[in-house]
Amino acid sequence: MTQIRVPDGLWDTAKIPEAVLSQWLYLDGATVTEGSVVAVVMAEKTEFEIQAPADGTLRITVPADGVVAPGGVIGKID
Amino acid sequence: MEIPRQRLLWMYETMVRARYYEETMARVYLEGKTPKFDIAEGPVPGEMHLSAGQEPCAAGVCAHLRPTDTVTATHRPHHIAIAKGVDLKRMTAEIFGKKSGLSGGRGGHMHLFDPAVNFSCSGIIAEGGGPAVGAALAATMRGTDDVAVSYIGDGGVNQGGFHESVNLAALWKLPVIFVVEDNAWAISVPKSRSASIARISDRARAYGIPGVHVAENDTVAIYQAAGEAVERARKGEGPTLIEIETFRFMGHFEGDPQAYRPSDEVEKLQQKDPLPRFKELVIQGGNMTEGEAQEIEARAKENVDDAFAFARESAYPEPEEALEKVFV
Amino acid sequence: MGPRNLTIAKALTEGIAQEMRADSRVFVMGEDIGEYGGIFDSTKGLLEEFGPKRVRDTPISETAFIGAAVGAAMSGMRPIAELMFVDFFGVCMDAIYNLAAKNTYFSGGNFNVPMVLMTATGSGYGDAGQHSQSLYATFAHLPGLKVVVPSNAHDAKGFMIAAIRDDNPVLYMFHKGLQGLGWMWNVATAIADVPEEPYALPFGEVGIRREGGDVTIVALGLMVHRALEAAEALEAEGIDAEVIDLRTLVPLDRKGVLHSVGKTGRLLVVDEDYTSYGVTAEIIASVVERDLTILKAPPRRIAYPDIPIPFSRPMEQYALPDADRIAQAARELVESGRQVGALA
Repeated sequence: MTQIRVPDGLWDTAKIPEAVLSQWLYLDGATVTEGSVVAVVMAEKTEFEIQAPADGTLRITVPADGVVAPGGVIGKID
Repeated sequence: MEIPRQRLLWMYETMVRARYYEETMARVYLEGKTPKFDIAEGPVPGEMHLSAGQEPCAAGVCAHLRPTDTVTATHRPHHIAIAKGVDLKRMTAEIFGKKSGLSGGRGGHMHLFDPAVNFSCSGIIAEGGGPAVGAALAATMRGTDDVAVSYIGDGGVNQGGFHESVNLAALWKLPVIFVVEDNAWAISVPKSRSASIARISDRARAYGIPGVHVAENDTVAIYQAAGEAVERARKGEGPTLIEIETFRFMGHFEGDPQAYRPSDEVEKLQQKDPLPRFKELVIQGGNMTEGEAQEIEARAKENVDDAFAFARESAYPEPEEALEKVFV
Repeated sequence: MGPRNLTIAKALTEGIAQEMRADSRVFVMGEDIGEYGGIFDSTKGLLEEFGPKRVRDTPISETAFIGAAVGAAMSGMRPIAELMFVDFFGVCMDAIYNLAAKNTYFSGGNFNVPMVLMTATGSGYGDAGQHSQSLYATFAHLPGLKVVVPSNAHDAKGFMIAAIRDDNPVLYMFHKGLQGLGWMWNVATAIADVPEEPYALPFGEVGIRREGGDVTIVALGLMVHRALEAAEALEAEGIDAEVIDLRTLVPLDRKGVLHSVGKTGRLLVVDEDYTSYGVTAEIIASVVERDLTILKAPPRRIAYPDIPIPFSRPMEQYALPDADRIAQAARELVESGRQVGALA
């Protein structure tokens, strides 16, 4: 199992305390490949892509529109 | 040109009102859009182009206008609408999409129309030129000395419609003042990568009309340039092109990440904020006391707060009203 | 390997990038398409890879740069121009319909105009009447212009590559709500598995998005997804709807539509563009002028009313076709079809 995290330092948390997981590109349970963009996080109007850290089955823990922070876990790869 | 005290105070109040309006709108616009920015959400959905920093262009020019003069504004219209005397409550209600709005909610922030003061705007770049020429033509044909002001941005001046309108106004010697608000950016593209020459006012020569350049967002210089242009126009001496170097403190639209913009640019511009500069000038000149300034500021804020309260309290139109007003 | 899911924005940009790598004649120009990456993310990353000579930010001068795309195309290049919102066509329509669309014909085929004009369509996010139109029929009406309206990422990439390779002018109309933009609502069903290698999809073939035997719902762009939502609701009531995605308006796969209606006997056409003189009328005419006998009920259409798009949310939402109205119309169609059948 590998956790999918929002990387640190993507945006200035002093200015933008909360960001949002704007969309998942795969359904829960989908097979994903390491390096594929699986989700997009929006800090205000700036987008950040989140890649799958490994090959495997996607398990979503933070659904679309959920609030995220740098370092936070949004799902895992089984 | 000596500026009468009442005009100085009016200009200060207009600029303060416009600034406070945009600051309030920036906050209200984000309601329902945080933490997830969804342009469709909140009391004010859609694009929102705010004008903080550009107030001198509105106040300095509109100080010379009367309600019967026409103004066509851009997609960034609030400061100009305020300076032209558009009903603030009904304008705000329009921006909220309420039935009590200027157009019953059909237009929204880029489509503000107030026939009481001959104000209109458009969300399409450089579209105000033709209608301003037409208003000036109508004034001439009706035998009045009313004038028309067409506002446009530094991005808009590269549209064919701008050139055609300036040429037509010059050819027919119509009472039009073309005001270029040069805020240095056409969304993300800087003026230096949009226009082949540095000064748009230089283009006036190609049409045989006076071109005036005002540097540094200088309210007094704008007032004077506009005063001369309006006077010429009223006397039947034809159009003038005025280019104003102004400041865009905010994004092209609210939520614009502005990654294209040097990070310290806005900060540098804010050090030259025209509001405190003008306030100090008026006070230094002995035309306003600190107490009077505070009164003006309080009144402007009250006007704006009242307008927003009116907009919030107003009802939405019935959905079926969408089908009305296509024709008269 | 799992699927490779992309948004339409990503997929169409990938198509452009691959063609730019393969063909030095391909270049892009438009407003805010460089550093900004396109207001609707249609050119993200292209400037970084290909540089400012091939990814050119233009002044706000659509007449000039779309006209320039025509000229460059006639001079052996493969330009892609972006008209930021389709609503902005007013200032540059001459370059589009009097030049791009006609020069091949006027020159007796001695010149061709291999350009792509891509543009954003769509309403429903409060952007009012100069930034929300669809205008599909306006362009499809003009002879000489191919018109493509992708509804999902797989089509988006394949159509973009086909458009670039096409020797004719192609208007590529993408919907803002389907792009996968982070800053507005979007539609998850527009995301699709997109092969990494370049591929071109043929124009002029409808897509059967859902098979069914009771009623044919023909749609394009965003309305394909609204029709699919409606079909799901109808399924629960025992109505089996077939959803046809037109995919390209020029060329138009009339046979594909006719084939489906031949099967169901009932036709509902859904369009986000204005009602009168529009896509809905064209589709219905294409069926009834071929064979009236296949219809069990008079065809229906749901399109945007003949009004400018209002800003205020209640009016905006009222005017915009949605899944509920599509389902209701389909229901009535099936019901009236039964009555007609009973009378016969």
